Amino acid sequence: MNFFESIINFFKSLFWKQEMELTLVGLQGSGKTTLVNVISNGGFIEDTIPTIGFNMKKVTKGNVTIKLWDIGGQPRFRSMWERYCRGVNAIVFVVDSADREKFEQSKQALQDLINKPPLAKIPLLVVANKNDLPNSAGVDEMIQNLDLRGIVGREVCCYSISAKNSVNIDITLDWLIKHSSSVKN
Amino acid sequence: MASRVQKKDDDESDFLFENLDKGQVIQEKRAFNESPIHPRKCSLVISQFLYLLSRGDSFTKTEATDIFFAATKLFQSKDIPLRRLMYLLLKELSTISQDAIIVISSLTKDMSHKIELYRANAIRILCKITDSSILPQIERYFKQSIVEKDPHVSSAALVSSIHLLKVCPEIVKRWANEVQEAISNKSNMVQYHALALLHRIKQHDRLAVSKLVSNLIKNSLRSPYAQSYLIRCCVEVIEETNTEDRIFREYIESCLRSKNEMVAYEAARSICTFKNVSNKEINSAVGVLQNFLNSTKPTLRFAAVRTLNKLAQTNPTAVIPCNLDMENLITDTNRSIATLAITTLLKVGNESNVERLIKQIANFLGDINDEFKIVVVDAITSLSQKFPKKYKHLIIFLNKILRDEGTLQLKQATLDAILTVVNNIPESKEIALTELCDYIEDCDFPDLSVQILHLIGQEGPLTSSPAQYMRYIYNRVLLDGGIIRAAAVTSIAKFGLLYEPMKEKVVILLQRCLLDEDDEVRDRATLYLKLFKENDVRYLNKVLMDDVPVPLNNLQKSLELYLHQGDFSEPFDIASVSTVVETYQSPLLGDGKSPFSTGASKKGDSVTGTPKSNNASNNNNNNEESSGPESFATKLSQIPQFSTFGKLLKSSEYIELTETETEYVVNCVKHIYREHIVFQFNCTNTLNEQQLSNVSVKMVPSDPKLLKYECSIPIDVLPYGEPQQCYVAIRYIPANGYPLCSFSNALKFKVKEVDPSTGELDEPGYDDQYSLERLEIVPKDFLNRAFVGNFSEEWKKMSEDTQLVQTFSLVGVKSIDEAVKQIIKTLGMAPAEKSEVVTPKSAKHILYLTGKSLNNQLIYVRARMKLDQSQTNTDVELTIKSDDESLNDFVISAFIEK
Repeated sequence: MNFFESIINFFKSLFWKQEMELTLVGLQGSGKTTLVNVISNGGFIEDTIPTIGFNMKKVTKGNVTIKLWDIGGQPRFRSMWERYCRGVNAIVFVVDSADREKFEQSKQALQDLINKPPLAKIPLLVVANKNDLPNSAGVDEMIQNLDLRGIVGREVCCYSISAKNSVNIDITLDWLIKHSSSVKN
Repeated sequence: MASRVQKKDDDESDFLFENLDKGQVIQEKRAFNESPIHPRKCSLVISQFLYLLSRGDSFTKTEATDIFFAATKLFQSKDIPLRRLMYLLLKELSTISQDAIIVISSLTKDMSHKIELYRANAIRILCKITDSSILPQIERYFKQSIVEKDPHVSSAALVSSIHLLKVCPEIVKRWANEVQEAISNKSNMVQYHALALLHRIKQHDRLAVSKLVSNLIKNSLRSPYAQSYLIRCCVEVIEETNTEDRIFREYIESCLRSKNEMVAYEAARSICTFKNVSNKEINSAVGVLQNFLNSTKPTLRFAAVRTLNKLAQTNPTAVIPCNLDMENLITDTNRSIATLAITTLLKVGNESNVERLIKQIANFLGDINDEFKIVVVDAITSLSQKFPKKYKHLIIFLNKILRDEGTLQLKQATLDAILTVVNNIPESKEIALTELCDYIEDCDFPDLSVQILHLIGQEGPLTSSPAQYMRYIYNRVLLDGGIIRAAAVTSIAKFGLLYEPMKEKVVILLQRCLLDEDDEVRDRATLYLKLFKENDVRYLNKVLMDDVPVPLNNLQKSLELYLHQGDFSEPFDIASVSTVVETYQSPLLGDGKSPFSTGASKKGDSVTGTPKSNNASNNNNNNEESSGPESFATKLSQIPQFSTFGKLLKSSEYIELTETETEYVVNCVKHIYREHIVFQFNCTNTLNEQQLSNVSVKMVPSDPKLLKYECSIPIDVLPYGEPQQCYVAIRYIPANGYPLCSFSNALKFKVKEVDPSTGELDEPGYDDQYSLERLEIVPKDFLNRAFVGNFSEEWKKMSEDTQLVQTFSLVGVKSIDEAVKQIIKTLGMAPAEKSEVVTPKSAKHILYLTGKSLNNQLIYVRARMKLDQSQTNTDVELTIKSDDESLNDFVISAFIEK
């Protein structure tokens, strides 16, 4: 039974091979690199160093190959986010849901980015990370704080996750894979 | 793309990228954004970019940034050849592109990648984009890479560290232990790079360097590169520390015996550069080089002969054992080697073999190009000064070059060389003239013909049989173009003037030229003919023999200035033209400077040696005349205090009042007016932590009765590095005699400390002073140069009753040449009749000088001089003639005071 299933999956993957490209952005320390690590090999590493520039990772989930561009969140890199967001299948905006003081800053950075004309229509997934921490903001609070309802002309979604405890990573991936070929060409 | 490539192949060019267009290639960069990536396509585009970059095409910041970021997309590819090209492109663009730091994270990841190629390349890019804020975060990757086993990675890290040493030395210095470990890496290259880095890390600590070097000497490095580097370090230690320790010299000597040619050569070369070297050392070094001269490898022969060439300048005898080997190299197929061999041989040559050497060169002259021939010609010219007796061979040799095929440049150089020989060695005149006469029979360059005709006219009549030249000259009138005919006519006329027996024939020849079709030729013939018929010898002399006494360039500039100023109340005075010669090659000095260049005399040179002092930066020999009286006059007349002083009569040369390397650099120019003297002090503050204000010079005269203080203009603010002028003016009464006295001087000022980082001033500052050297007013300051057409005639005309004759001895002046220069310098007058040119090694000489006082009285000076028996002093008999006896006394006082 399992054997057949895996054979079918194998053939399916030959014919249904899909590729997608994602860009992860967000303020420094929001957990982008950690999220990439969790998605790619499932492990949580405690002391991730700040990303100077970007990291590139390729992950295969089922028959989908995902290219992840993880761009550093320090202010000096924010002007370069756009270059890596052009033409991707989805933009993933990561927010530290426990650091309420930075919500305003996050909102501003997000608005600046998605208002760039080349990035019109690209689906946006806002990920409220670190929901394992006490006092973290929930999805509704996040939507309100980042004024996500005000974003028009593109698909927007928001999930509350914990990269550390692998909470809601699966639904995040599902959403992403669903968009694997929606915009591209 | 494939079809385009195909098409190119069909064209005459088989080079793929030859007609590459930048705009087109930039379009192609979209290949980097495709998904999936096509490695071959991307590789081609990158190669094109790299080609454009190496061809020198420039990319704007935006273009470079776009390409750079597009290329970063290729980090996703796992294709190794593509990755390698990507690294190369990123490295090239990293210095042009904005925000290149975007790749730092990816590169640091690659630094620990399992593929070595990634690691080495990542390091090389990182070194270009890292700054001192980022380096601490990636320091550990560097340390790891330095001690890597893989030589490429380790070398990349070491070489990058050398570059980073300039960016953040403190951090790189912390890696000394790792670098030390890398020295024991098995790879020759790594050893070398590690040593180079370690040496640079310790560079500023002499003790550490010498410890490092002596340790490594004992360790016996295997890498020949590292050994060569170590030899250089040894030289540095020896030269900088004057160490008595023999081990450094012994090491270098031991390297002479190295089996590796590079090491042995490096050791030999080092020994040749040592300042004090024993005969034994130099002989063994030369022995090694001698072996290399016979090597089959051209590089070795070249290196050896080049080193010997240098050594021949300082130590010609040491090179002699190689003479035979170098003679073999004269026919070397590599012409660079042959050039060096010949010039070396000529340097060490002696009277007996010069002749043979010249013959040998003449044999293969046909095979070498013109540039090389010029080198040979130069060498021959210097030879003529060394061995004047060989003039015959030199002239014949030079003439052979002149007659062979060649460019104008070569011919001109050769003709100049002949003229130099003729000037230096009077005996060579006749043979040179005969040869040159032959040459102009078949000369393709009118320029040269004109120069030669001029020379024949000048010198021909004074030879033993002037008549023989006439045929050659008149042939030119019959056969050549207008310019040459005109020159020939002048030349003919000179014979008539200077050689009485030919006068009638000259007149006949000139008459024949009256119907020439060229205006200039007719005009000249008519003028000369008229003068000959009237027998106006004086005017003929003036027309034919007098050179313009000043360089034509300077004359032109002065005339332009005169016209520009528009003040024609006084006629143009040729004596006001600067005589500092720019290009005139003095046969005497051979250094391109005329011996009578007052402004560029020795003191002038020391001025140009200090880049910061005063006008010196624009006062080098090339534009010396810009500081001539004209430019001073304009500048000074704008200062209200001096505006009543009248016309500036004379400005002295620069006189240094400080050493050139001191805190404050001051030099002085004396400006002489009819009743005033203005001292212009050019001051430079060389301390960046100080700002001076209210700067003035306090002068105390040795004889206060001679003069009166008039005024002083201080410098308000003298910041670091900007030269400025302060002035002191004094007054004297010319009727009471010129104020010849000396001054003791001190610079007075207020100091304010400046914080160099912020530029803030530390108020209120304090008063200070700085003592300067003494300054003298000397007779020369009141004498100008003057020019007369015919010195001997004028001299005869002046009465002997008022002349002043004085004999004295110039103590310590060991050559006539030096004596001539000293007399010219002391009097500041113009030499006449080319009498400043001294026959080499002669023991006596007569110098004629003309000058004038500030009120334009002419002064003639004749100096007979002779070396005394001890050959250490020069006896001088000075005869001064002018219309004013007191003026004569004044002139002679220039020497008596000394």
